[in-house]
Amino acid sequence: MIAQLRVDDRLIHGQVALVWTKELDTPGIVVANDNAAKNEMVQMTLKMATPTGKKLLIRSVDDAIKVFNNPKGKNMRMFALVNSVRDALKIAQNVSDIDGINVANVGRFAGGDKATIKQLSSTLMLEPAEVAALKELVKMPMPVFQQVLPSNAKTPIKNLLK
Amino acid sequence: MVKILIASHGHFASGLKSAIQILTGMGGKVETIDAYIDDSDYTLAIRQFVQQAKADGGVIFTDLVGGSVNQKVLLEVANAPKIIVVSQMNLAIILATLLEARPITTEVLDELISQSQVQRITVPKTPETTASDDDFFS
Repeated sequence: MIAQLRVDDRLIHGQVALVWTKELDTPGIVVANDNAAKNEMVQMTLKMATPTGKKLLIRSVDDAIKVFNNPKGKNMRMFALVNSVRDALKIAQNVSDIDGINVANVGRFAGGDKATIKQLSSTLMLEPAEVAALKELVKMPMPVFQQVLPSNAKTPIKNLLK
Repeated sequence: MVKILIASHGHFASGLKSAIQILTGMGGKVETIDAYIDDSDYTLAIRQFVQQAKADGGVIFTDLVGGSVNQKVLLEVANAPKIIVVSQMNLAIILATLLEARPITTEVLDELISQSQVQRITVPKTPETTASDDDFFS
């Protein structure tokens, strides 16, 4: 089961490795990202960022969905990481066992046309396609919220989209 | 949680606190001394921390062994055996201390220090083989 699906364009980094893996008590981390699945350099940096004692799996989004639906993972708490709202939506539509979706950090490194970017919070700067995906994501049955760090309040994404 | 003071020359201590806040949201759990940024006597702040921490214990991180900040700290903790002083500090050791679940003894701290060293990073020439789904679930 997915204890949390986190949307974070830094994937595994300090906040995730130091704080969230402890907070969520997840022995397994799954990075669901098409680029990381084929880029060995990115894989190396993700392995380096993985805390000692945690298992890491790096898969394309489609392959990660198979992992999340594998009956062997039913009782394993997994921390799933994607770097876009679109990828999160695809997983949410194809995996039923997700405790919550945390849309934490998106858009800082995306570049793109500033005029079309919608800023939803200090760490969410979304392109139109991402906003559209987010509007679909909040219709899903599981809680969809923003919480960068455990010490921050959980803000429902619905409130940010208003 | 153990009481922590970070003391440095210049804005290093408050800079570490800023990084700790961004990474963990726990910046409020450390006290800092930025020495020599003005003409104030920072030994008063060290003394205040020692008074607050000497009964239950605490850790003071300083920047350089033998630096004046480190010397002032050592003089102030002379009669406070429960306060541990760590020098040559970096971000990793302070985060490790803050996030440690066990009580901070000298043994625990030495273990955290050994895992928080500066290191030269190289890219492995042959990438590790990707783990299989079965390895992950085993």
